[in-house]
Amino acid sequence: MTTAHTQAPLSPEAAALATGPAAHPLHPAHAPTGQLAFGVFFQGVNSSTIWRLPASGDQVAWESFEALARTAERGRFAAFFLGEGLRLREHRGVPFELDVAGRPDAQTLLAALAGVTERIGLVATQNTTFNDPVDLARRLQTLDLLSGGRAGWNVVTTDNAWTGENFRRGGYLDHADRYVHAEAFVRVAEQFWRGEQIAHDGAHYAVRAHGDLPASAQGRPVLFQAGASPAGQDFAARTADVVFSPHGTLEAAVDFRRGIVERTLAAGRDPGSVKILPGAEIILAATEAEAAEKVRWVRDQQIGPEQALALLEQYWGRDLSAFDPDGPLPDVPPEVVESGVTRGAGFQFADAEQLTRTWREEAAEKGQSILEFARARAGARRGTFTGSYDTVADRLVEFARLGAIDGLNITPWLIPSGLDDIVDELVPRLQERGVYPAEYAGSTLRENLGLPVG
Amino acid sequence: MSTTVARPAPSAGTRSAGPTQPLPVLAVDLVTDPSLLSGLAGLARGLEEAGAGALTLSDGGLHPIHVAAHLAPLTSELGLLPRTDAIYVEPFHLATQLMSLDHLSHGRAGWLLQAETDPAVPAAVGREVLGLEATAREAADVLTAVRAVWDSWAPDAVVRDTERGVYVDAARLQYADIEAETFSLRGPAITPRSPQGLLPVLVADTDRAAVGERTAAELADGRALDLDVSGGARTRQLAARIESAGPVRLVRLVGLDLEADPLGTVAQLAAALRSRALVAPAPVPRRTLRTRLGLPAAPFRPDPARRSDRARQIREESA
Repeated sequence: MTTAHTQAPLSPEAAALATGPAAHPLHPAHAPTGQLAFGVFFQGVNSSTIWRLPASGDQVAWESFEALARTAERGRFAAFFLGEGLRLREHRGVPFELDVAGRPDAQTLLAALAGVTERIGLVATQNTTFNDPVDLARRLQTLDLLSGGRAGWNVVTTDNAWTGENFRRGGYLDHADRYVHAEAFVRVAEQFWRGEQIAHDGAHYAVRAHGDLPASAQGRPVLFQAGASPAGQDFAARTADVVFSPHGTLEAAVDFRRGIVERTLAAGRDPGSVKILPGAEIILAATEAEAAEKVRWVRDQQIGPEQALALLEQYWGRDLSAFDPDGPLPDVPPEVVESGVTRGAGFQFADAEQLTRTWREEAAEKGQSILEFARARAGARRGTFTGSYDTVADRLVEFARLGAIDGLNITPWLIPSGLDDIVDELVPRLQERGVYPAEYAGSTLRENLGLPVG
Repeated sequence: MSTTVARPAPSAGTRSAGPTQPLPVLAVDLVTDPSLLSGLAGLARGLEEAGAGALTLSDGGLHPIHVAAHLAPLTSELGLLPRTDAIYVEPFHLATQLMSLDHLSHGRAGWLLQAETDPAVPAAVGREVLGLEATAREAADVLTAVRAVWDSWAPDAVVRDTERGVYVDAARLQYADIEAETFSLRGPAITPRSPQGLLPVLVADTDRAAVGERTAAELADGRALDLDVSGGARTRQLAARIESAGPVRLVRLVGLDLEADPLGTVAQLAAALRSRALVAPAPVPRRTLRTRLGLPAAPFRPDPARRSDRARQIREESA
């Protein structure tokens, strides 16, 4: 393995963010590996996936998943990552019609992918509120065994009674209890994986069971966690192997890393045992100018006039169809109900009055129409890496050398061909720069993420 | 073990199946024991070559739905029927998992509906053991709910209308709106309609008592005749069992000795039973499991009262 990251001085931007010696630039207890791992995130919903193009494939067909997984494996990606759906998103009381919707069950699909891939990790987003821990633990261990030690679980929580309408226990958790419950849930799963006798009496249910499956090649599934809120970060620091909240700038990524290092130490764990793979969108072209043009084109395809109005309606809480998408932001006040008009997207509406006023002023200042504002905002919400192949590669080298991140979890904007330029153009440049593996380190997800066997 | 209800023997030379019901599909039961793992793909392919028309996956530790999904891209014609519990699970998850199996197997999925009676299973999810009657009621409720979820997207719900910017048409989706004794479920599915629309749901003889007569005889799509071959497979005896069984959709070989010569045994049995016209011919490509089992196509059944865009309709009416 090359050690290019130790050979040259850091850029002025990175050096300004480093606080310690060059080998430990972020935090005295943090030793950067200087290496990146990629995952691919097939979301299944949201406006990130363009469906209007002829090249946009079927979002449910097995062939789409298989093609994307094979491309990712060709690019030595560590993980193939699937989102979870527990209820169709709704907008103004009707299933949301403008974005990609409808996806298969994550783990069922990954169990099939386990048979046609060899090295890539298989990670399923699964909710702790609307699953039973022993059932979920058994499924994950089945996936881990079928894949030879490549399973991962992205642990998510919800307190959403609206989602709960599809489940026996309904919306039975107070918001503050989500992580308390999630942590107890994960402990039960871990006991199951270790083959232990389980006798758990929690606030929400009792579990009596016994783990009865053999351990996989990686010991137990890898635990992922988004961990954006302080409570989520604490949970991640105590429990997760990988954190993947998005941080678009180097500064934000460095801050997040410091926070996770401190929280991990406080939880009594080695900071190297928690990897950070932020979610990201990557838009690339041969030159900077072509890339800038491509970013505009991608945003145009992602956010049409209808989506722009729908985005604002989520925050205004009312019908805005009378407003011209090419005109200024609505000059009417928001009508905000508790959960807004779009359900299932996790939007927060704490201070809609303030937010909508700020947005109106910001758009007016920049001379943006509703459509232009929505497109700019869609990009800003994501951790986004755009530019020429070489500039993005150089930028990622800085992230790696500083140890700000351990990799990226990439959402392609096109299915199934959206990874092609990343695998064919970016990955070789990162390999030349010594920050990306030329070959898989091993056969398990833990090995390929640089994690110890569990 | 078997709780088969005795039926009158068919008149000489004919089977009692109706004119539209084809010969039953020959299935092999695999118990999902972890010891199978290393040879699983080869075994499934071998059974397909040997002439099995379907596999049923019974719970031996590894989750049957995952094992079925795993085998889907590794096989090409086999029907794949997890034999899995309806009672101590979330009906919404169960419906989604099974219809996902149908998508990725291109219409080869089915469900061998089981009602768990082992008290360890409810203990693991913090529920009390249900009595026989309550179990039977719940099996019926879950099957009804699962079908409502499967039937919540019209086949053409994904419209991809670039002109209007509409990906999915909410008017072609419907809620499940199930209110059962022990659960409720709203829908629609998070998954577009699967190739078969409604998966074939069968009840194996061994599960008939626990599942209850209403589900087994009225709600399910048919019966799986269980033939225990753990003591050896004598063609003439098995043939007699099939001939006297009455109408069945699946003939299921249970207790196959995987240590001995499972592929040879299945090949020999498949050939012998086919030569006697007792089981269906080996599967041909690109036919759904429903078709092969003799079940009619399952058209989308729209219900105006459950349409997913009714909130918009109400807004428009009141505008």
